[in-house]
Order: sequence, then C-alpha cells, then structure tokens
Amino acid sequence: MRTSFFTYSLSIVLLSLFLVSNTFAQEQDLSDYRMRFRFKSIKQPDQSRILEASFIAANKKDRKDRVPVYGADITFLNVLGEEQVSLGSSKTSKEGIAQITLPENQSYLMDPEGRINFRAVFKGTEELDGEEKEISIKDIHLDLGLIEKDSVRTVQINAHTIDSLGLQIPVVETDIIISVGGMLSKMVIEEGSIEDGTYEFEMPTDLPGDANGDIKVYAIIEDHDDYGDVVQKNMANWGVSKKSGQESENTLWSEAAPIWMYVVLTILLVGIWANFVYTGIHLFKIKKEGKELELKTEN
Amino acid sequence: MDVDIRKRELVKEFSPMLLKSTKWSKIWIGILVGFILWGLAAFVIQVIKGHEVTGMRDNVVWGIYIINFIFFVCLSYSGAFISGILHFFKTPWKNSVSRIVEIITVVSLIIGPIFILLCIGRLDRLHYLFLYPRIQSPITWDIIAIITDLIGCFIYLYLTFIPDFAILRDNSEDVPKWRRKLYTFLAIGYRDTPTQRNRLHKITRIMSAMIIALAIVAYTVLAWIFSLTLQPGWNSTIFAPYFIVAGLYSGVGVIIIAMYLIRKYFKLDHYIRKVHFIGAGVILLVISLLFGYFTFSEYFSRWFSHKTHDANLLNTLFNRYFWEFIFANYIGVLVPIVILFFKKFRTIKSITFAAIIAVLGLWLNRYLIVVPTLETPYLPIQDTRPEFIHYSATWVEWALSFAGIAAFVLFFILIMRLVPIIPMSGIIDYEREGKGGTNSVTQHQLK
Repeated sequence: MRTSFFTYSLSIVLLSLFLVSNTFAQEQDLSDYRMRFRFKSIKQPDQSRILEASFIAANKKDRKDRVPVYGADITFLNVLGEEQVSLGSSKTSKEGIAQITLPENQSYLMDPEGRINFRAVFKGTEELDGEEKEISIKDIHLDLGLIEKDSVRTVQINAHTIDSLGLQIPVVETDIIISVGGMLSKMVIEEGSIEDGTYEFEMPTDLPGDANGDIKVYAIIEDHDDYGDVVQKNMANWGVSKKSGQESENTLWSEAAPIWMYVVLTILLVGIWANFVYTGIHLFKIKKEGKELELKTEN
Repeated sequence: MDVDIRKRELVKEFSPMLLKSTKWSKIWIGILVGFILWGLAAFVIQVIKGHEVTGMRDNVVWGIYIINFIFFVCLSYSGAFISGILHFFKTPWKNSVSRIVEIITVVSLIIGPIFILLCIGRLDRLHYLFLYPRIQSPITWDIIAIITDLIGCFIYLYLTFIPDFAILRDNSEDVPKWRRKLYTFLAIGYRDTPTQRNRLHKITRIMSAMIIALAIVAYTVLAWIFSLTLQPGWNSTIFAPYFIVAGLYSGVGVIIIAMYLIRKYFKLDHYIRKVHFIGAGVILLVISLLFGYFTFSEYFSRWFSHKTHDANLLNTLFNRYFWEFIFANYIGVLVPIVILFFKKFRTIKSITFAAIIAVLGLWLNRYLIVVPTLETPYLPIQDTRPEFIHYSATWVEWALSFAGIAAFVLFFILIMRLVPIIPMSGIIDYEREGKGGTNSVTQHQLK
C-alpha cells in the first residue's frame, strides 16, 4: 500500500515537473536582450541600390539566442546637413530585415566630396526604444569585363567614383572578391585589390558551366567603409560543358535492350522451355509404351 | 499387397466425392455461378462505358483489380513453391495437402491474370503487347513469366494427375461413358509399369524443382513492376523477397482454409488430420515472423530516412488509412503469431482463424502498397474532385472481384469432381515403399 502510494506520488511529481518546465521555458524578459540595429547599402549589377536594415534582439547571456524583430517600421532617409529626403519605408520581415530598392536613376543629396548619407530610422514603440543608424558612402561605378587577351581568358575590373564636378576618380586600395555562380552559392576564385582603378587576372579554364557552358562571374566589394557593398556580374561561354557521355548509356530506356538482358532472358526461357519439351518427349514415350502394352494384352 | 485390389478400394472410397451431388452442393454451385454472372454483367458495363464506371482515375490508375491480380498470382507462386518443396523433398505427409496446393496453384494462376486485363483501359489494343513488346519493360517480362509459369504449372499439375487418371480409368465401372473416355484420354496409356513409373517420377521431380525457381523468378519480376519505379512506397530494394515472403504467407493461409473446408465438407478427417494443421500452422508462424520483420524493415527505413514524399505517404497511411494499416500490419501479423506460438492455442479452428486473419491482412497490405502511393503523387493533383484525389472501389469493381473469388472456388470444386483431392497414387506409392500397413497406411503416413 505504502509502496504504491509512493509510486503514485512520484509519478504525479514527475509529470508536474515535465508540464511546468514548458511553462518556464516560455517566459522571456526583454531586459535580457540587447537590440542590434544594423544598416547597409548594396549596389547591384543593374546599378540599382538596396538599402537594408536588420533588427535583431540578441540575448546578453546566450549568444545563440537571437530573436528577429518582426513588423518594425523602418524609414530610410537621404540626409545632407539639416536637409533630409525620405526614400521610403519598409517593415521588418520574420528574419528581422527591412529593405527598399532604389532605382538606377534615383537622385541623391551629395556633399562636395561626392558622399551620400543614408539614415535608417526606427521610431520605437511602447516596448522597444527607437533606433537610428547612418552610413556614408560614395557612389562607385564597377565594370566587369570578360575578355580574351591573346587567347587568354581575362577578367578585367574597372572602378571609379564621380565627384561633385562630374570628374571620374579611379578607385584605389580596395579589396575585391571574384566568384563564379554555382547551384547553391558562389564559389570564390580570386581575391585581390583594385589599384589605380583597375584589376585584372587570368580566368581558370577548367570551371564547369551550366548546360550550355556559360559561367556567371561576380565581382564583389564587401562592407567597404566608403562604398558599402557593391556587386557586379557578367557572363561568358567559358565553362566546360557538364554534359556527360553516360546519358546515352542509360540502357533501360534506350531503343534497344542491352545484350546482357537478351542473354539472361534467353538462357532462362530456353532452359525452361527445353524442360517442357523434355517432359513432352517423356510423356510421348509413356504413351508409346502404354500402346505397346495394350497391343500385347489384346494379342 | 495386391496393388490392383488396393486401387479398387481407393476408387470405391473416393468415388462419392467425384460422382455424387448433394442438394447443398448444387445450391452452392448455383450461388457461385450467380456471382460469376453478376461479374460478367459488370464487365459488360465496364467495356461499354469504359473505366469511368470504376474508381480509377488519372492519379490512382490502379485499384482493387491490380490488388486481386497480385493476390491471386502470389497465391499461385506460393502454391507452386510449396508444392515443389513437398515433391522435391518427398515430404512424408505430402499426400494430404499436395493436391490442394497444386489445384490452388493452377486455378489462381488462371484467375489472377484476368484481373490485369480488367485494368487495361483499351482492351482492343491488348495484342500490341505481343506485337510491339519492349524487352526492357517489366510488363513484358511479366507477360513472358506468367505465360511460361502458367504452362509450367499446367504440365506439373497434369504430371501429378496422370497416375490417378490411370487408376480411375481402370477401376471406374459405374461412371458415365464420357467420363471414362476422358480418363482414358488423359491417362495417355499409363499402366504403372516400372519403366513408366520411373519415367514419370523423374520428370515430375525435375518439374517440381523447376517450378520452385520459376515461381521465384516470376514473382520477383512482378515485384519489380513496382520497385523499379521511383514512386514512394514502391522504390525498395527488398520488394522482391518481401513479395515472395508475403506470397508464401497468404499461400499457406489459403491452403489451411482450403484444408479446413475440404475436411469438413467431404468428411476427410481420416486423411486431413490435426497434425497437418499443426504442421501448416508452424510454417505459417515462421512465415508470419519473417513477413512481420520485412514489413517493419520496409516502413522503419522509410520513416527514419524521412524523405519528403515518403513522409507524406506515411502521413497518409497513419491518417486516412489508419485502421487498414493497423489491421494489415499489426493484427494481420501479430494475431496469427500469438495463436500459433502457444501450443495450447493450436486447435484446428484457431489455426484456421489465424489463417483467415493472415489472408485478410495480406490483401489489405497489398491495398496499402498500391492505393496510398498513387494518392500521394510527386506533382500535386490538379483535378480537385474528390474521386480524383481519393480512390474508392465502385460496385463494378467489387462485382468483378467477387466473381473472381467465385470462379476460383468453382474451378476448385470442378477439378475436385474430376480427380480425388487426396492423390490415390501417392497412397499406393507410400504403401509400395512399405512405410505402412495395407489398411492403416493413410493413418500412418499422416502421423
């Protein structure tokens, strides 16, 4: 009796703890989190520009615990001194990211050095404080040429900025990454630095392309203090075709069956049918002997 | 022992089974014929109106016809397999069951392929299969395998019947003329001389070994019709041995049910005894364990790998087909195991009950292999009408299915009217080898 009561009580306690532990796990205190508000600009191959703000709450004690802020209204501004122009606004996604895309022909307020100042603003709510971040970049023009110099496949990059007077100023000492596009991600094939507005390198000749042998080449400047993120891409028929000769050897659905199939089936069937014939011959012999016996009996 | 006197005794003993028709047997045959006529009417409607009258649509292109086809053909192959084993290894108690198994083998192989013809939408193009065969296609292999197997089984069945035809020819005085003529024709002059006997034993033995191999090959090809596709639930490397084990499972089950009915109806308690049921029951137990193991292995690997389409299929099985799944793979396996595992449960009735559960479970297992897979295709079903998304058999399909079962039973009865269900020649051979006394031979050999 005592034992069963003890077992019963222990079961209830364990069950309660199991249920209650879930309740504890649900509780979250905002003071345990630090808000991370980041802002960047990405210039795209078609010369349009993405302004992207990310808004994440990171746990102060557990760095793996990161909660994206969803639905926060972010306003993007172009600022010059006291003057500011609204470029648009966007709400953060489930990943905590708000984006707007500015077209190629967008006009910006620029300082005399040709710098454009962008500002991302979150006004705040009752629970969350307001956030603001500003970046200052120069508009860079990145050209990616895929040319053959003396039959050598060459990647040629030219980069310049334009000052307030409209003069082209070559870009210097800027790290650049060259990648080729793959099915899932880009593969880095070269890392270098743009000097005096240009950078060149010899393209490897053993890269596989798509079904037509085309390769997409990307030139990327990442998180630069002056230019932000810049991406340029180009395509050339420089890939080694991925078509393999094995496709035509897919024998099951080819027009003619493979030889081994004929051989195996023939051996099987001939063996079986030969046995049928062998049985038939013996049945015939049985019948013949039966007839002979019948004749003997009659005589 | 005077063989001629013994033969006469046996013919006298078994003649009532061949010649007498009771009121109940006539009613029973009438019911079976009724079912067959109902099936024929359904078939005519299907031919006139097309597959629209069935539950089969664009996605679920196979229904209970193909399930019946697999079921009957697997019954035949397992019968051939068991019969081959009984003959080849000269199993001591083979006389009591061998003819039941042989008849099951041939009759189910006649009925089974009829169901595959019912699956064909354009029967008028059937001959194209023979005119333009693709040797790479498992369907072509299947046709070759089934035709070869059918002929092989017919020859084998005939070989085992010859000595009995000869005994009936020589010892049936009171039978109608046509029947004696038929026995004379079918006995092909067999006089049971030592040369004829040796010759017949030799070819029967070779044939019994061959039909074991033929059954394995033909049933493997049938399994490949499914497993060589990439469909979830079908694309499995163990499908061929799984089908063979499943076939044996249902085959032994049907043999036990047939043994029970024949024993009861023809009062053959003297020949088909409890020891045979226990022997068959132990075989069913071993096969049910094997079948359970294969089933677990099949579904466990699908569940553990958790590929999207396999997961969708399992989701369908555990929701829409929950009870069918439980019956086919739990009750259909565990109940026979429990009944047959414990000695005190092994009575004739309980073993027969276990066999019925096994056969029903296996039919449902076949249903769950075919239909849920077709209901969870790779591409979403475009036509959202309920009959396109979910398959359910119509009365036409059920009518033809029951007609098939009725035809199976009717053919079985008709063959039993031609030759005794217990092979007389087997009893004579046994006595000739001196394994039993003249009068009590059948009792001894069955122990």
